[in-house]
Amino acid sequence: MAKILIVDDSKTSRKILKNILVENGHTVIGEATNGEEAVCKYNELQPDITTMDITMPVMDGLEALKKIMDIDKNAKVVMVTAAGQKTKMLDAVKYGAVEFLTKPFEAEQIIEIIERVNG
Amino acid sequence: MFGLYFGDYLLEKNKITGSQLEDVITQQHTIRAKLGLIAVAEKLLTSKQANELNELQKLKDSRFGDLAIEKGYLLKEEVNYLLNLQGNSYLKYVQALTEKNIMTMDQIESALEEFKSENGFSDTELDALKSGDIDRIIPVFVDINIPLVGEYITLVIRNIIRFINNNIKLKKIYTVKEYTFPSIAYQQLVGNHNLLVCFAGEDEALLTIASPFAKEDFERMDEDAFDSICEFINCSNGLYASKLSTEDIHIDMTPPKFDQEKTLSSNGDIYVVPIVIDGKQSDLLVVVDHKVEIN
Repeated sequence: MAKILIVDDSKTSRKILKNILVENGHTVIGEATNGEEAVCKYNELQPDITTMDITMPVMDGLEALKKIMDIDKNAKVVMVTAAGQKTKMLDAVKYGAVEFLTKPFEAEQIIEIIERVNG
Repeated sequence: MFGLYFGDYLLEKNKITGSQLEDVITQQHTIRAKLGLIAVAEKLLTSKQANELNELQKLKDSRFGDLAIEKGYLLKEEVNYLLNLQGNSYLKYVQALTEKNIMTMDQIESALEEFKSENGFSDTELDALKSGDIDRIIPVFVDINIPLVGEYITLVIRNIIRFINNNIKLKKIYTVKEYTFPSIAYQQLVGNHNLLVCFAGEDEALLTIASPFAKEDFERMDEDAFDSICEFINCSNGLYASKLSTEDIHIDMTPPKFDQEKTLSSNGDIYVVPIVIDGKQSDLLVVVDHKVEIN
């Protein structure tokens, strides 16, 4: 089971994702509401997996992904996108994202991806 | 879903009381419409023929459909057609009204004619409402051919059914240049086209969207409740952006926002679709490729 950091500016989105993860045996060790917070929490908590929303104020998910990959080249960052952010998804792959979760969340899809990434 | 439209009409015209309406709604969910009633509603049998078959059924251990075929009133294909309609919500609604002795079939038929004429519905539109099929109901209230707007509104309404509440009532779309709101949650989409999409209304109406989406019982439109609606808009817009990208139209989403007690104005049309959920009306607002201001 994975220790997960959830990064999303939407409390609703964090809550839905957290519920699905916890119900399936994973541990949510922290939450961040923007990219800047995410980088700090990544350093502090060293999660197995980070779920990272793309559209966020202060610092967006792509910028935070780059900074996290600079800190830890083995970081497992799963990008969370509202469907339709194709260009940003391609950028995320370039910067080192390992997978994508699309909103609206479907529990089965989330668990399958998290378990695959966790190995 | 039909019960929401017709039931509200009956209530408004004092043809039924509020408690009778509640009874019918409760009963509607527990019954399976009778074949005889469906046959009359579909005008394949007269009330007299249906009553005759009901009486005959008491004497013979046979199914209604078999007796109707035996008497030469219905063809086998017609019986199969009627059997397919048994789960239809309109027919269950009609049956609940008659079984509760609130209205007779003739009274229902006549009220239905008045409902149709007062709302200016065509036969096709009335059939769409009776079908309970949201894809047929949406075009009754929204011109789905308005470029970008029609397609967007259709997608959002389907998402409301999927994530919020499957029992909603739509009202006819209209346009304004200014819209004053108590509360609003909105998101701008930018790119090949620029869209502003919002949910606006009284707080108690917006709560009917916020609470089910976040699966949390919000008591007022606080920051968390707004966040829930913003996230619902964000998810819908993501799906819409994805759909547009297959047509080589690219739009990007900006972070959603919310506001209170202001006026939205535009130099173009603001499309407004009233959506009633649990008896409370919120408005879905869409502006395409026009400047908007919130002051």
